[in-house]
Amino acid sequence: MRNYENLVIVKPTLTAEEIQANINAIEEVITSNGGEIAARDAMGMRKLAYPLAKNERGYFHVIYYSVDPSAISEIERRFRINEELLRFVTIKYDTNREVTAWNQLVQKAIKKATQPAGEAKVEEEVVIPAAFEKDEEE
Amino acid sequence: MAERRKYKKRYCKYCEAKVDFMDYKDVGALRFSLSERYKIMPRRLTGNCKRHQDMIATVIKRARAAALVPYTVTRTTVVTAPFENLR
Repeated sequence: MRNYENLVIVKPTLTAEEIQANINAIEEVITSNGGEIAARDAMGMRKLAYPLAKNERGYFHVIYYSVDPSAISEIERRFRINEELLRFVTIKYDTNREVTAWNQLVQKAIKKATQPAGEAKVEEEVVIPAAFEKDEEE
Repeated sequence: MAERRKYKKRYCKYCEAKVDFMDYKDVGALRFSLSERYKIMPRRLTGNCKRHQDMIATVIKRARAAALVPYTVTRTTVVTAPFENLR
């Protein structure tokens, strides 16, 4: 078993129920291949940085799961068949450092999911140290 | 040469902040190493160390694949409000 993360972008033209049904189907693909979903993070409807299949927006959803490495090719094959899926990105968390980061991300996602929507926005702190302000011109 | 020294002495800001892992979904944190045209900034300008520059390069490429950060910004596809997705 290895830890993975999948970001999927669902077509924005669907209705809210259809999007939810699609995400359930996507999660079903993972679980039916022996994956255990640790957390999910709905990033919601966002503007895309560049158009995908003539769509300017997309519904982002992140799934954290652990699965046997051999199942990944099958999961990705099933994702490619899905026509409502604009894009998916699979990230492997392998080394010790990455696994600890994965655990933190899972905790963060669970925390975000349990909190009410309005509150979560306030709690969420973007960790940008003060040193990161651009100071090119001196 | 003294005239050309426009930038002050550089140090790795990621090392200072003790960054061990970068998340590609956190677009705001990537901003520092991206130019106005969303190119990856070279090490000689940001002062990043090799290790963190390699990390940020993979992370930015992941974010590009996920349509969170554009690959190119041209005159026609200019971003009117960059990082407006930032929450």
